[in-house]
Amino acid sequence: MRRAGDRGIWGGLLPKSDLIAGIVLLVFGLAMLVAVIPTQTSEGGDATISPALLPQICAIGIIGLAIMLTLQATGRLRRGVAAGIRVPAAEWWSALAVLLAVAAAIALFVWVSPAVSAAALVVGLMLYMNERRIWLLAGIPATLLVGAWFLFYRVLGTAIG
Amino acid sequence: MESFLPVLESAFAPGNLAWILFGVTLGYLVGALPGLGKGTATAVAIPLTFYLSPLAAIAFLVGIAKGSTAGSAVSAILLNTPGEPSSTPTAMAGYPLARAGKAQKALKMGLFASVIGDLFSTMVLILVAQELAEYALGIGPVELTGILAFSMVFIAGLSGRSMIKGLIAGLFGILVSCIGLEVETGSPRLTFGLIELYDGLPLIPVAIGMLALSEMMIQIGQRLRLQEEADLLRGSGLREDRIVTLGDWRRSARAILRGCLIGTGVGILPGLGASVGSFLSYGAERKASGRGADFEETGAIEGVAAAESADNAVVPASFVPLFAIGIPGSVIAAILIGAFTIQGITPGPLLFLENRDLILGVYMSMVAASLFLLLIGYFGQNVFARIVRISPALVMPVVVFLCCLGAYLQGGGAFGIGVMVVFGIIGFFAKKYDFSFVTFLIGFVIGPSFELSLRQTLGLVTDMSELLDHPVALVFAALAVFGVWRLTVLQRRQHEAMVRDQP
Repeated sequence: MRRAGDRGIWGGLLPKSDLIAGIVLLVFGLAMLVAVIPTQTSEGGDATISPALLPQICAIGIIGLAIMLTLQATGRLRRGVAAGIRVPAAEWWSALAVLLAVAAAIALFVWVSPAVSAAALVVGLMLYMNERRIWLLAGIPATLLVGAWFLFYRVLGTAIG
Repeated sequence: MESFLPVLESAFAPGNLAWILFGVTLGYLVGALPGLGKGTATAVAIPLTFYLSPLAAIAFLVGIAKGSTAGSAVSAILLNTPGEPSSTPTAMAGYPLARAGKAQKALKMGLFASVIGDLFSTMVLILVAQELAEYALGIGPVELTGILAFSMVFIAGLSGRSMIKGLIAGLFGILVSCIGLEVETGSPRLTFGLIELYDGLPLIPVAIGMLALSEMMIQIGQRLRLQEEADLLRGSGLREDRIVTLGDWRRSARAILRGCLIGTGVGILPGLGASVGSFLSYGAERKASGRGADFEETGAIEGVAAAESADNAVVPASFVPLFAIGIPGSVIAAILIGAFTIQGITPGPLLFLENRDLILGVYMSMVAASLFLLLIGYFGQNVFARIVRISPALVMPVVVFLCCLGAYLQGGGAFGIGVMVVFGIIGFFAKKYDFSFVTFLIGFVIGPSFELSLRQTLGLVTDMSELLDHPVALVFAALAVFGVWRLTVLQRRQHEAMVRDQP
């Protein structure tokens, strides 16, 4: 059952995302129960039921299930079975690229203008995806901006920005 | 009959029909694009509905959902890239046909089966929802708590491979729904002093982040594979390879009928989703045909018909629990709740009393959408076949832009985009590590109703023995406990079988 290259729960080559997720969720649930919910929820005064009741039920549930997930993953790794999956590097990089592009767009939106922000978002992602044709790099953002302006300002009669 | 005429007039008014047509076309277009599905399409389109009448808004979104479900067969058949998981069986049976030069035949049969499944399920919705709603009117808070708890367990257990992860996702969704002013005392809860959070997290930026942005984060990483698939296609010069013959109909009729029944049944049950429907239908046809692996090797027109009829039957049927009880049984239904809320309408049993004309109008719009689906799909086939070859480098940045636009409009400006980004990250992890985002979203949507009914229950039931006065609630509570046990056992067996089968 044990596979080549496997060196125990932490040292092995098997995916262990379930184990990590279980531990992260356990910490999250405990933090919610012990620190966040008590400080971010009022006592409720004359309320028949405390406002903290449902958040507490959810946090306790998450803690219990996270412990089960951790134990399940530990058991699998001990038996030499994968506990989770491994995400390809390309998907991590693409996720990061999208987030950076949106973050840059928000910054441009706040400090420059909505139009520049929208154009930068689209062009940035097109460049990241290896699109190098100038007429498309210029034409698509321009069409989108004019289209959005026409639809929201003219057809639907509202305003953006 | 007289009171029915105004409904007919509003449903078939040129303006309303134009929005349905636009919705179906947009949905078909988005569905046909590789990697984009109905969740992305409807979430991104929500901002367009702010300024429409309630009927046009709902009809437009339903049109998008129907169009994108049918359209996802195009990329599945032509590129072996399902727009969403529920089109995977279509790709399995249809892509080999496309590689053999029979792409047009497979696309046409996929379309016809989609329309039949969709129309069948719409009729069932019309016949069943109101009857169920009349029964639901007699349901009290104790029973509702039991039903909601059961629904969450059911959805958590069936929408992913792990019951534990599904339940975590559902509880996380309910926890996130607690953010904002508390319903009884009006005191802020989990807001961290941010005034923007006092009204709670806005549904649309959360939905766009979880469904669309996270999908783009994943799909952009897979862009090279999508492009390579587009380059492998070739056509056939033979007429019989391009049309659906009488023989094809004979082979597929039974598969379509079975697909309609399976898809409708699966759609009515909350949480099962279109993937379960299409895989069940495909599997049943594969078994009944006796051809086995031949289905995937040479392709099978009846396999396409089985998968597509069930896939499309799920969407209208999933509105049955939404309209009748107010429980969203699918992602589309959860998004529709957002659209209803924007229009000041609460889905549930009272819908048929307070908004009867609207719901009748929605029904008629759904039938019209089915017919538009046939027209758009049939006459636009060649256009959509070309559209799937558009480079992802041109499509995906546009979708990210539309995500930001939608979140900005519905989420109160840049704050909405921030919410979308946070839930985009959570959605990315949820999708990659199998924490059901469907369960999260449904937990988030039903969270306030669940809290309200739980509070009322705790106020009404002061002694456990009083629960005996609520047998319906007890039955659903027992079903929830049984569901946790049974589904956990089934998933453990599946996992053990999978481990055994690995080399």
